[in-house]
Amino acid sequence: MQLEGKIALVTGGSRGIGRACVVELARRGADVTFVYHSNAESAAKLVAELEGQGLKVRAEQADVRSAERAQQIVDGIVERHDRIDVLVNSAGIVMDGLLGSMLPDQWSSVIETNLTGTFNYCRAVTQQMMYQRSGSVVNLSSTAAEFASRGQVNYAASKGGINGLTKGMAKELAPRKIRVNAVAPGMIETDMSAAVRNLAGDQIKKAIPMKRIGKPEEIASVVAFLAGDDASYITGQVLLVDGGLSLGTY
Amino acid sequence: MPTKDEVFEKVQEALVEALGVDDDEVTPEATLVGDLGAESIDFLDIVFRLEKAFDIKIPRGELFPEDVWTNAEYVQDGKVTEAGLEELRRRMPFANLDEFAKNPVVQEFGNLLTVADMCRFVEGKVDVTD
Repeated sequence: MQLEGKIALVTGGSRGIGRACVVELARRGADVTFVYHSNAESAAKLVAELEGQGLKVRAEQADVRSAERAQQIVDGIVERHDRIDVLVNSAGIVMDGLLGSMLPDQWSSVIETNLTGTFNYCRAVTQQMMYQRSGSVVNLSSTAAEFASRGQVNYAASKGGINGLTKGMAKELAPRKIRVNAVAPGMIETDMSAAVRNLAGDQIKKAIPMKRIGKPEEIASVVAFLAGDDASYITGQVLLVDGGLSLGTY
Repeated sequence: MPTKDEVFEKVQEALVEALGVDDDEVTPEATLVGDLGAESIDFLDIVFRLEKAFDIKIPRGELFPEDVWTNAEYVQDGKVTEAGLEELRRRMPFANLDEFAKNPVVQEFGNLLTVADMCRFVEGKVDVTD
């Protein structure tokens, strides 16, 4: 298995794309710790489900906005396993609204969770991965970073920030054999995108050349690929996984 | 309680691993940047290795106070000001800044810190016997 024996950490792991990443990494042989924020029940369910399959998984509650907690979680993993090989930053929220009426809190909540949260965990693993001279980080971006949509300036800015963070970190750490990449999903079937999908109905599928919404598993398999040694020469990239959405309508 | 020789040996080991240099290059007089080729990011790595080797905690920026270089009060026209030198002396009591102070060009600063300075830094953190 591609990730056999690897020690992995996934944020936002109890639902959506993060959950699919936990499942995929564990199935590929990784020992996965995942972070969840509020949904203890679904986190416990996921642990039970994967443990039932003989896979290695552990859940930790955290608010990704806390840098201190991020370090605590990473230190705990290193204490238990003496290393950390993979970090997947998937924790993210949306608080949509038109710019003119967006409350400052709508802006800062999204930036702090999506962007600062990603920074916190990237920072927390850096020294240990440098020490090991190995590691792979995969950040969840979005096509929204590059392709504008109304009502999402906060989300788009947070994901654009993640792209910049990914590239800068990749350049700093490439000489230390640490790879850093991002996956930018298009429209994916998750709770987070439900509002947009419900609002736009079938119209949204027409804009996607592949004429369908993606599944979380189709993102997770790309994340797992980037996390593992099959992607050993890829760093600093933002890989769009969007059914062709970014190709444009015409 | 380590001896000074043991401190040097562990510092040497940390530098060999972090910088990919040979044991014999890591002499007490060797400068980290000029002689051993350390870049700013290497200091993160070095600090982490020292923390593990000596079981100590080193707050970021303590060994190499990078924030001084971006502070307009401390750096003007590429040179460290009097206030900046004072701040550096306060923050880096383990380093000898006298030579640097004669012509405090920022770019030269990296060339100043030696392996012996680093040993003194560690000695300030752990109890040392002679």
